[in-house]
Amino acid sequence: MGLTILMLVFGVGVVIGMPVAFAMGIAAASAFWYEGFPMLITFQRATAGVSVFSLLAIPFFVLAGEIMLHGGIAVRLVKLASALVGHFRGGLAMVNIFSSMLFGGISGSAVADISALGSILVPVMKERGYRPDFAVNVTVTSSIAGIVIPPSHNMIIFAVAAGGGISVSGLFLAGVIPGMIMCFSLAIAAYILSIKHNYPAEPFPGWTEVGRTAADAIPGFFTAVIIVGGTLSGVFTVTESGAFGAIYAILLTTFYYRSLTWDSFITAVTGTVRTTSMVMILIAFASSFAYLLALYQVPARLSDALVTISDNPIMILLMINVILLILGMIMDMAALILICTPIFLPIAKGLGMDPTQFGIMMLMNLGLGLCTPPVGTCLFVGCAVGKIKIEEALKSIWPFYLAILGALILVTYVPAVSLWLPSLLK
Amino acid sequence: MTRTKTIIDRCETVLAGVQWLSIFIASVALVVLVVTFGWLVFGRYVLNVTPTWVEQLALMLVCYIAFLGAASGVREDTHLGVSLFRDMLPVPLQKIVMVAIDFILAAFGAIMFIAGVELMRFGWDSLIPMLDVPESFRTLAITTCGGLIVLHAGSRGIIRILTYRTWTPNFTAQES
Repeated sequence: MGLTILMLVFGVGVVIGMPVAFAMGIAAASAFWYEGFPMLITFQRATAGVSVFSLLAIPFFVLAGEIMLHGGIAVRLVKLASALVGHFRGGLAMVNIFSSMLFGGISGSAVADISALGSILVPVMKERGYRPDFAVNVTVTSSIAGIVIPPSHNMIIFAVAAGGGISVSGLFLAGVIPGMIMCFSLAIAAYILSIKHNYPAEPFPGWTEVGRTAADAIPGFFTAVIIVGGTLSGVFTVTESGAFGAIYAILLTTFYYRSLTWDSFITAVTGTVRTTSMVMILIAFASSFAYLLALYQVPARLSDALVTISDNPIMILLMINVILLILGMIMDMAALILICTPIFLPIAKGLGMDPTQFGIMMLMNLGLGLCTPPVGTCLFVGCAVGKIKIEEALKSIWPFYLAILGALILVTYVPAVSLWLPSLLK
Repeated sequence: MTRTKTIIDRCETVLAGVQWLSIFIASVALVVLVVTFGWLVFGRYVLNVTPTWVEQLALMLVCYIAFLGAASGVREDTHLGVSLFRDMLPVPLQKIVMVAIDFILAAFGAIMFIAGVELMRFGWDSLIPMLDVPESFRTLAITTCGGLIVLHAGSRGIIRILTYRTWTPNFTAQES
């Protein structure tokens, strides 16, 4: 009965449009009350849920991304990408994807990626004769790279939701190849469509210009090198690396690039507070919610239910992927990581899947959900940036979905894709 | 009607000020977090002296960033939610559901506030290691968050009822 109350209150809260974090909190408080626990346990666990040392990295990662966005690093990365890959057929689409790889890798946020790169590239693409829906779709789908290419704050959320024991540096390394495969698949899809629609190639600017833009962009790109390198080398903890990366980005954009104004700094700080609190309040109430899920043995029950449908690991993983894809269509990423990890991770472990591989699979899968209707934050932001209707974007997004699904299948069924790089460190 | 509008406008000004203050305090907490953590990294790796109080301070500050920002997010309506199913309802029903959500959130905020006060009472005698301040300072964040949610969600619910005819679900009372 307690589990029914938990799920019913949560389900009703989500369906009527209540913020997911509070729906979890109210559901947890109701279940605690029903079980005869004092309701203040909900809030005690919520406070304890955010007072976790590794979570401190989240505000630092978000701040580094915001400073890059408002301090002029993003623009420099786009120029570098343009000089390097702009001369291929559909050059600006390639620039868009490659920029996402560079910028998204640092900001770790798909929405920041679209806001930063989309607002620069989509208007230029339209001007150069690209169809608006194509420009938006390339921007939206390539933004997912930011979620899997390190550093990514979603990886920290996953590591925390998994209950510890998963190395963040292992996750960082595990995301590199899947992220690159995804970007490469998207580039192939964009290239084929560019030939079909006869999109132009940009003139090659010459190696001198490539060198000049690289020299200008590399100090900015070092933000990611500091964060990832500091963590992987074991010199810094992930939190210290994040703090160092954020401070480096502030100093770089203030004293070297001289493009961070006081106003843009304030915008970056308040933006960081808003994003961090949105994620942290989810984590806070998810820790109460997850405690009850464990108390009611939900993972074990669901595992038993899935095994009754099929005992074939390939089928079960397929089912988990389908469930995550469907949930990803209606709910946002951070919430789903926190809700689904304690449920599906034990099942995946039971099938012999490495938790790190599961994490990358889950992040890619839920990332795809950000680009799908009816609730697709990235799709909405992308369409707003490109000034087109969602229906218009959806008509031609399928080749990009297929590219990401292909990469997702590889990550799901070929462990080496995600686990080979981390294995080199062991 | 004009008098009601004047009162609502005054309330909105006060609430906007409270929200600005929440974001300001959370932003200051973030800046302090960055500066102190920078000091921690510098101390540990350059001076070879680790300022151990920084980690505990950071864990307390992050509570203020999370909970004050979250309370502000209730007013700004920026929390992640699924409006898809609600949007399928007829407009009058959508408005009723939105008002109901406001009051449910306000009630939850009140419970959060009361529980927060209890937690503060329990934590008064136990000190946060390294900082030597009562644990209650950490739980003050969730208590304040509860109070602010009551204020923001409750007042929005009341304003939505008072201006029921003039707002639409995609156009909030604050904007009108």
